[in-house]
Amino acid sequence: MADKKIMTTMHEKDMQKVTAAQTVTKIIVQFLLYAFLCIMALIIVFPFYWMIISSLKSTVEYRLPIPTLFPQDIMWGNYIEAFTAANLGKLFMNTVYVGIVSTILSLVITVLSAFAFARLEFKGKNALFAGLLATMMIPGELFTITNYVTVTKFGWLDSFTVLIVPFLVSVFYIYLLRQNFLQIPNELYLAAKVDGTSDLKYLWKVMIPLSLPNLISITILKMMGAWNSYVWPRLVTSTDDYRLITNGLRDAFTDMSGQANIPVQMAAVTVVSIPLFLVFIFLRKYIMKGVSRSGIKG
Amino acid sequence: MKKFLQKIKFEEWKAWIYLAPAVALLLVFTVWPIINTLRMAFWEDYSIMKELGGTLGNEFGLKNFEKVIKYRGFIDCLKNTMLLTVLTVPISTILALVIAVCLNAIKPLQRFLQTIFFLPYVTNSIAIGMVFEAMFNIVGFGTSNPSYGIINNILGVFGADPINWINAGSGYWQNIAVLTIYIVWNALPFKILILLGGLQSVNKQYYDAAKIDSTPRLRVFTKITVPLLSPMIAYVVITGFIGGFKEYSSIVGIFGDDMQAVGGESLNTMVGYIYDALGNQEGRASAAALILFAIIFVVTMINMYVSKKKTHY
Amino acid sequence: MKIVLQNLTKVFPSRNKKSNEEVVAVSDLSFTIPDGKLVGLLGPSGCGKSTTLYMISGLQKPTGGQIFFGEDDVTTLSPENRGVGLVFQNYALYPHMTVKQNILFPLQNLKGADKLDKNTMLERALEAARLVQIDNLMDRKPSELSGGQQQRVAIARALVKMPRVLLLDEPLSNLDARLRLQTREEIRRIQRETGITTIFVTHDQEEAMSISDVIVVMKLGVVQQIGKPQTVYDNPVNLFVAKFLGTPPINVFKANVKGGKLYINGEAVLDVQGVADREVFAAIRPEGFIPAENGAMTCTLSSIEVMGRDVSIVSKNEAMLTPTIRSIVDADYKISATAQTVKFDLKPHKVFIFDSETEERIYFGDQSAPETGI
Repeated sequence: MADKKIMTTMHEKDMQKVTAAQTVTKIIVQFLLYAFLCIMALIIVFPFYWMIISSLKSTVEYRLPIPTLFPQDIMWGNYIEAFTAANLGKLFMNTVYVGIVSTILSLVITVLSAFAFARLEFKGKNALFAGLLATMMIPGELFTITNYVTVTKFGWLDSFTVLIVPFLVSVFYIYLLRQNFLQIPNELYLAAKVDGTSDLKYLWKVMIPLSLPNLISITILKMMGAWNSYVWPRLVTSTDDYRLITNGLRDAFTDMSGQANIPVQMAAVTVVSIPLFLVFIFLRKYIMKGVSRSGIKG
Repeated sequence: MKKFLQKIKFEEWKAWIYLAPAVALLLVFTVWPIINTLRMAFWEDYSIMKELGGTLGNEFGLKNFEKVIKYRGFIDCLKNTMLLTVLTVPISTILALVIAVCLNAIKPLQRFLQTIFFLPYVTNSIAIGMVFEAMFNIVGFGTSNPSYGIINNILGVFGADPINWINAGSGYWQNIAVLTIYIVWNALPFKILILLGGLQSVNKQYYDAAKIDSTPRLRVFTKITVPLLSPMIAYVVITGFIGGFKEYSSIVGIFGDDMQAVGGESLNTMVGYIYDALGNQEGRASAAALILFAIIFVVTMINMYVSKKKTHY
Repeated sequence: MKIVLQNLTKVFPSRNKKSNEEVVAVSDLSFTIPDGKLVGLLGPSGCGKSTTLYMISGLQKPTGGQIFFGEDDVTTLSPENRGVGLVFQNYALYPHMTVKQNILFPLQNLKGADKLDKNTMLERALEAARLVQIDNLMDRKPSELSGGQQQRVAIARALVKMPRVLLLDEPLSNLDARLRLQTREEIRRIQRETGITTIFVTHDQEEAMSISDVIVVMKLGVVQQIGKPQTVYDNPVNLFVAKFLGTPPINVFKANVKGGKLYINGEAVLDVQGVADREVFAAIRPEGFIPAENGAMTCTLSSIEVMGRDVSIVSKNEAMLTPTIRSIVDADYKISATAQTVKFDLKPHKVFIFDSETEERIYFGDQSAPETGI
């Protein structure tokens, strides 16, 4: 090895050249990086921008051959029209009601099951848990068919029950929370038992506070699920008394003649999107955490 | 000893009480559907109406599957689904990878841009689908004075003629192009989040080592970044395929729920087919759902097999 | 190729944004590393030795000062253009590549005059692998190797392109004691065989002393002393260096000089001509004690440990600043285990006297002035 030529050394002149080239490359690379990212970011953001400015345009302005990038006259009236056209007020309340009730019930069920799987001993525990996990592989559409039949038989069509009950149990959330509970040392549980603390009190005082971040993630994802659900409510509801906001939004504006009042439509879309943005701005951390663990949307 | 046994028994009881609500709901809404789907799928022309009327179906066997597969509408759905999956998964994965790598290479504005790129995740796919519809839509289509929409106007800046993307008489490929753009836009945030998370957990020393060895940037990307990220890439591709085969609401968002009103050729997908069959053809819907499950299962297995060979450690 | 560091300084901005405290990792460092030598950068953690190494590699940019490779000023050159080889503390072997691919990797990046064809590359890789004796493991992944084997692969990868300088960051810290002894000998051998100027960083003085041509002792970003290991050991310039080198560590006493004599605990233990009367620290190497019935220095005996060839006497006295006084004497000396006290005479060249304020050495015994150069 010793006879091998050691790497070429450089001379003073080359050094300066290399140093200069190095700096130039660095600047160019940084420039390209930022340019690319900014262009991509613009593309990502553009639909939102277009949604908001379109919602404030008049129909006449919207139909100008060359679209304006900012509304000439700001038409707040579009929003009022949107609320009436799509009955957004009523649908909004429906959605919030379904979201809150199903989130609360779902949390209770999830916490109790996760506790049983994490802390209690019973026959068939592991088999049952494995069975639950296995159902996660099956696409939801397969359940939808029978569930549709089932709720029809139960006479649940057109009710809030049908929107809430079938989706109360999420195997994934049970799994997530069980893993979280398992990380809490068992000694705490045993100590609580020695002190005569009841299970429920222990759950409430120790486990729930310790797994709060996960519970918040679950809450947000569950609420977003209600907000964004489209297929199931469309199948099982037919009146505005029980329909959810996304259905109302799509159905109110299904006019492909090209003559639809798009600014009003965009106003409705903005109304539906704004709560999501607010949640995103204030609770981004929990959403991103929940998402990177689950990969499930809503 | 007796006391101990009693205690165990008590604990078993308690566990089942805690699990009762979950188990009951799962039995009705998860376990029964699995059994029932099989039952419905194998009774020819089964429908709930018929069952309420006292008959299950004509004969027990594979007739439903045969009818579904032979039915042209289903083949179109299958074709649309496959096409969209095959187009969107690679495009969104590669784009997400490039964006994640770029994001990981900058310092100022990194968090801000990261937030921007995550934005489409927290949206209602129907609602934003309607925005995309509006952007591609030609207002006053067919009149003497149409407004070609913002996308056509932007393309016009580069000298392109306006294209009929989604209005009446629009071509199949134009429709598919719009859908692909929307689905990719929608799929990017999750992929970027996962890939960036992966990049940030890669030991920085590998990059230092590559620098010491004068590795060109492209080679760092192909020989170090991609292999080290391969588990995340595999994950993103597998979930992408699963999501792609279940594509439905993005199309409803843009084209409305008949998914057809425009060019004549249906843009319906497998999931759409299943939903459309509900109400009178539950037997065929079940057969289609089982076919979908089988496809997803096979594709996932292939993906896992390939990624096991290609990912390291 | 010789390496010259001139007034090298590295200041890290404070991590805490509120306080503007800057951390000076390396301060005004200047020394020259002669061509083809093995140099150990030695010091406790946080002394700036790793930072110095990373500045030489180019992975960190100095805040001030210059670095020369031979005649070339490489200060602003990025690591890609320096042609150094670096062995990381955790080896940083690419986990998805086999040993062979890992070693080949740097060769495939060579360009211009250094570019090699495929066969030469394979040959060179095999040669490097043979040098570190891992040529039988070429198709394994790093995860299938032991720590010692990984370490050799890392050395092979750093060496294979025949770098102008080889840098090693705490190369032995992840190895167990036996492997460490074996590997450090190997580093020495490989360095001799290749003749590449090599710098390694360690906090283990024994390691540095045993294989380096030259050691550089650092403390808090400042070089304390540079020299051949034995020279530094025999002639520490200050109390820090004296304490840092040697196992068992040197014994330190509060002492004073009066009328040309060194007093420890009120006893005159040594003649020190030419030192003015003052308070001092006296440091005595463990091998500097000679037990003698009428010895000048009296200590209370604590225990005696027989270690075969040597005997270690552990004792105490009032003036000591180290927890015990440990002396290593020849096993021929017989000391009664029941004795309460032990008396020593001192070997003058094993006794160092330091100023009690500056901790600088003020008396050099019967030796010539210490060499601080190389």
